[in-house]
Amino acid sequence: MNIFVYVEHIDGAVTGTSQEAIAAAKRDLGGTVTALAFGSAANDAAAGAFAAGADSAIVCTDASLDSGLVEASGPLVTSLVQSKSPDALIAGASVAGRDLTSWVAFDLDAGLISDVTAMSADGGRITATHPVYAGKLLSEASIPAGVQIISTRSRAFEPLEANAGASGAIESVDAAASGLSTEVQSMAAASAGVSLNDAKVIVSGGRGVGGPEGYDPLKELCSTMGAALGASRAAVDAGWIAYDHQVGQTGKTVSPDLYIACGISGAIQHQAGMNTSKNVVAINKDGEAPIFKLARYGVVGDLFEIVPALNEEMKKRLG
Amino acid sequence: MKVLACIKQTPATEAVYSVDNGAVSWDVPGGGKPNVINPWDEYAVEEAVRLKENHGASEVGVLTIGSDAVEESIRTAIAMGCTAATRVDSAAVDGSGAAGTARVLAAAIKAEGAEVVLMGKQAIDGDTGTTPVMTARALGWTPLTFVSAIKEVGGGNITVERKLEAGTQTVTAKLPVVISVVSEINEPRYPSFMGIRKAKKAAINVVDAGSLGVEGAFGAGSAKVDWASITAPETKALETEMISGGSPAEIAAILADKLIADQII
Ligand SMILES: Cc1cc2nc3c(=O)[nH]c(=O)nc-3n(C[C@H](O)[C@H](O)[C@H](O)COP(=O)(O)OP(=O)(O)OC[C@H]3O[C@@H](n4cnc5c(N)ncnc54)[C@H](O)[C@@H]3O)c2cc1C
Ligand SMILES: Nc1ncnc2c1ncn2[C@@H]1O[C@H](COP(=O)(O)O)[C@@H](O)[C@H]1O
Repeated sequence: MNIFVYVEHIDGAVTGTSQEAIAAAKRDLGGTVTALAFGSAANDAAAGAFAAGADSAIVCTDASLDSGLVEASGPLVTSLVQSKSPDALIAGASVAGRDLTSWVAFDLDAGLISDVTAMSADGGRITATHPVYAGKLLSEASIPAGVQIISTRSRAFEPLEANAGASGAIESVDAAASGLSTEVQSMAAASAGVSLNDAKVIVSGGRGVGGPEGYDPLKELCSTMGAALGASRAAVDAGWIAYDHQVGQTGKTVSPDLYIACGISGAIQHQAGMNTSKNVVAINKDGEAPIFKLARYGVVGDLFEIVPALNEEMKKRLG
Repeated sequence: MKVLACIKQTPATEAVYSVDNGAVSWDVPGGGKPNVINPWDEYAVEEAVRLKENHGASEVGVLTIGSDAVEESIRTAIAMGCTAATRVDSAAVDGSGAAGTARVLAAAIKAEGAEVVLMGKQAIDGDTGTTPVMTARALGWTPLTFVSAIKEVGGGNITVERKLEAGTQTVTAKLPVVISVVSEINEPRYPSFMGIRKAKKAAINVVDAGSLGVEGAFGAGSAKVDWASITAPETKALETEMISGGSPAEIAAILADKLIADQII
């Protein structure tokens, strides 16, 4: 099966979500993977894609594609799919990946399955699992005819072991995005720290932290563990922490290896964003809090005592 | 400038689901409302109303494809400040898939003559988030997704901030545009008493999709994706191990040991 994977990158560094998409295409679907990489640093991105498991690459190094705007990448991917007829087009379900897959699927009148968490293939047709109703139900979908377009949920697929020496054939295409109606004015980098999307460990705090400064011990644990900082909506609504950190149905959906919930009761809307975490540790004063139902390990206690103690222990072990 | 907010009615966030032979039904424990405006669409409605209040939009419509059961959500949008409402009856649209829905929305948007269309980033039933870009394509308009702030509207342009994984991008686009919003954009208002009274009496323009001159396929049989099965995930029997006894330091040490022994970290 020939699979195109759209590779997102930051100045040539392939994003984790794109590495996972390549792994899904290669390992879970057994495909031959062609990476699509665009922009001035596309050749570096292609090298990163080979290291992540791609077999070949199609690059377009025109600077008009640097913005990553779907208006620029959409028509190019559409024409590449049209001219080369892969069996599938896959992208990570990032903002750009969602935009791109929607654009191309509409323009080619092709089937699109978004934000999938598992996939398999049989005779060139893919069956994909897509969580619906905030992850409370699972749907299994397939696209009976034509190119199969799919976006993969962040952290749902393990990346392949990086192979820095890998290489592959690169085809360069000449194309420029012109006549765009959108212009990028500026880009403010996300605040420092590990992003919730790629985090292996998330330390998350809710109303129990009691105020903005209540996040300080959690931040220390984050830096010790290389973790990202999460929050419940109650804490975000109280103005203690920026919305960027909100986990839940109206926040981010995360699937870390470890989610440490501190002072979070575990409301159903919070669970919707974190119930695919591989392991949950709950620290809560109230032994009856629903969050314990999701937890592998639970501690009934004051987070202001437990979290600093855990930080000291982790420093000993990880330091 | 006319603004339109597109809303979908979805199950309440507290809903508890059951699946019987592929048919999904839900209930809200404690007898709450089983259906609400899709949470993200509330932000779209609020932003549409603010475009009128702060940026001189002349009219703020609300548009939905749905059965008459969704009129409650439409009235909520009117109570929040929308000045006109259109419901495209879903009978002929059901089974469309994402592209078909987008084509019908596009035809309805054209009929309304809007210049700025606001949608939610995704609907919490299907959880796909494909409609905004597809609708923009069907219209030949510019999509602006994951918008967290509208900075400026005027002179045929709009400047917005978008929330991307890598940071906040500020872009200027030529109108017309289809925008999808994230919840950072605003704090939706509670409808006022006056608003609710007005909404009760407001006329809802009901349209048959067949009369819209939709370009391309929609309705039963037009979907490209086969949603063969829908199931409730097996709840993994999870044994929660409570760690107790001793000082916080002792508890932390036990927890750290276990996390390492399990190779979780
Ligand atoms: C439409 C809609 C969408 C929503 N979307 C989201 C969403 O995306 N994300 C989200 O999180 N919520 C969301 N909610 C809100 C959700 O229903 C809950 O209100 C919210 O998650 C509660 O946050 P919390 O657990 O921090 O607060 P609480 O429920 O108040 O829980 C605080 C917990 O902290 C514990 N605690 C207090 N002090 C300490 C201490 N010193 N040490 C240890 N434990 C302590 C308490 O025992 C309690 O269990 C949404 C709600 C609606 C209606
Ligand atoms: N039936 C519908 N009627 C009106 N708007 C819709 C409909 N379906 C989706 N939308 C809009 O498209 C957004 C994204 O939906 P979806 O692509 O289904 O996740 C929603 O938040 C709505 O604003």
